[in-house]
Amino acid sequence: MAAGAEAEADEEELEPLFDYSRVQPTMAFSFDDTDIEKSDIFVHCNKRRKVADGDGDANADEKGDKGEQKAAKAAAVVDLGEEDWLPPPPPPKPKSTVTDESEQSSVLKELRYKPVHGSILLQKQAMAKFAESADDFLEKLAQTARQKVEARIPTEHIDLDKSPERHEAREKVVVTVQDKAGHHQFRLYKDEKFGKLFRAYAKKVNLSVADLTFAFDGDKVDAESTPEDLGLEDEDMVEVLHKTR
Amino acid sequence: MSGGIARGRLAEERKAWRKNHPHGFVAKPETLADGTVNLMIWHCTIPGKQGTDWEGGYFPLTLHFSEDYPSKPPKCKFPQGFFHPNVYPSGTVCLSILNEDSGWRPAITVKQILVGIQDLLDQPNPADPAQTDGYHLFIQDPTEYKRRVRLQAKQYPPIV
Repeated sequence: MAAGAEAEADEEELEPLFDYSRVQPTMAFSFDDTDIEKSDIFVHCNKRRKVADGDGDANADEKGDKGEQKAAKAAAVVDLGEEDWLPPPPPPKPKSTVTDESEQSSVLKELRYKPVHGSILLQKQAMAKFAESADDFLEKLAQTARQKVEARIPTEHIDLDKSPERHEAREKVVVTVQDKAGHHQFRLYKDEKFGKLFRAYAKKVNLSVADLTFAFDGDKVDAESTPEDLGLEDEDMVEVLHKTR
Repeated sequence: MSGGIARGRLAEERKAWRKNHPHGFVAKPETLADGTVNLMIWHCTIPGKQGTDWEGGYFPLTLHFSEDYPSKPPKCKFPQGFFHPNVYPSGTVCLSILNEDSGWRPAITVKQILVGIQDLLDQPNPADPAQTDGYHLFIQDPTEYKRRVRLQAKQYPPIV
């Protein structure tokens, strides 16, 4: 923003003979060594000047050197042909700014892949506005995002055996039971008969096991078989069909 | 190499399907006699939509994937002689999203294919007939068409 304002000011002072605005980005640039430090291209360095001014002249001298180097470089480019000159590369950003930005982008990326909540979007917009105090916002954001994720209600798990310490060697598997209304998840041992799951589900939905048919991959699941028999993996889906009478 | 791509994608499709799929649908790769799985052919079931004449039917559909999948769509086949205006006498389904030259995109999932075909059952496309029997009845004799659809639904009762 500051750069734009300064660019405008410079343009007023040095009006170009030809209008390159269509082919060149409007970026005022002065080849005069003395003006180089005031030029908008060093606006990033100017940020640091506040500190430099207070600290002493050493930094300022350095900057002056840099500016001269830049000017020399630019001049060299100009020598090749006035019509083909390109604006010099942007001055190196202060290191802290660079890390800030990469942090910011990584957090933004993270947020983008998390479930989008309206509030997060709003906060994102706000953050863009107050980019200077981005660090504070980012911390808050990360916190709220974490809270949101934690707050999300997990799918209900029903443990079919409440004394797991007895059979620690036995493997358990989470089975998703799907009916027309939705999903229920049950955890049972891989070598445990499905009958137990059927009864637990029937009790949950207030129906009789006799009225229900369970199917995996289109095949009826026998109450005497086990998840192991069917090669069930975690969160595999077993469907419930209501018998028609 | 392209076969690797097809099988990799199909393995992913199968994994996703096992974890979540629409109620009443079945989709599983063919298991050969020796117990090995052939990912290139899937045996599926499409339930007729509730509230339509197709309700109660569980229609068997076979998906034939080529080595060029997912660049090319699978061929989707009902049993021979399946009654529907947009199903060829061979059983092959005629649907825009299954046409390499029109609606197919590699990102279309098996789930989307099956749901798309379920939609087609009750919403035939008279602009694109594939069999004379189903097409003529649909256009000329809606009552008889309805009767035939209901009759066919009874021919394919739930397997379980």
